[in-house]
Amino acid sequence: MSKCRDIVELIPWYVNGTLPANEARRVASHLVSCEACRDELVQVMRINLEVKQAFADVESIAGTTKAEVIERTKGKRLAKIDLGSFLLGFSFGASYHKGKLPVRGDLRLLGRRIPLISSTREAVNDRE
Amino acid sequence: MTQTRDLLARVAEKDDTAFAQLYDAFADRVFRYVLTLLHDRHLAEEVAQETMIAVWNGAHRFAGRSKASTWIFGIARNQAFTLMRREMKAEKMPRPELVEPDPSHSILRQEKVREALGDLSTEHREVVYLTFYEGLSYGEISGLLGVPEGTVKSRMFHAKRRLAEVLA
Repeated sequence: MSKCRDIVELIPWYVNGTLPANEARRVASHLVSCEACRDELVQVMRINLEVKQAFADVESIAGTTKAEVIERTKGKRLAKIDLGSFLLGFSFGASYHKGKLPVRGDLRLLGRRIPLISSTREAVNDRE
Repeated sequence: MTQTRDLLARVAEKDDTAFAQLYDAFADRVFRYVLTLLHDRHLAEEVAQETMIAVWNGAHRFAGRSKASTWIFGIARNQAFTLMRREMKAEKMPRPELVEPDPSHSILRQEKVREALGDLSTEHREVVYLTFYEGLSYGEISGLLGVPEGTVKSRMFHAKRRLAEVLA
């Protein structure tokens, strides 16, 4: 029974195709021999289709929002300096936006951009 | 996936063409996700807008430790919960209902599915949405929500049981 519970918990991700290969194999081999879990699989597949449709039926974001967002990203560029090449270089930029003066400076090394200076501060965390 | 990373890298360089492409790829997905949390179109639009602005301003902080899409959804989630707290304080939060159905799809079954989703708790509906609509793995959802993988599986287990009861 606890084996079935383990499998049942994985079935939604078996259905959406994101299980790691070893877990997908474990689910598949269990399904061959367990009728109750096969019924569960059919039920989850049905829920998947119906729920996906229900979420898809929601009216999309307003078309006017894009123009508003784009407008908010537009600052007036004051200066931009690029030195060096793609492999090694330095870029510096300053712009004016709504009373703020964001300044950025980046080092480019083998195609990677390494921020050196950034005066903009937003509540964005790459926390994953 | 790589394409999104490339777009984000260009957005970090303040490439507005890349930002427009990123907006087209994500604004509606962010909006739909936030709508499952907030149940209000206007608030969801506001959060989607703020999320895309935060992406524009913060793209250079994407460190590539997760999928770019998961990073964007993480920003949306933070924005949504910040707004939710603000609205709760102001007691402006709408009753937890799903969005008004589109009249052209007012088939009884679809209505029933919508109601069943609306009756789930926000936590359960969120996992259902991220799994079935966004196609995220339980590991990605765990990272996005900041909860253990076991919690994600448990939320799904109970949500699924409830949906199966109602939609039987």
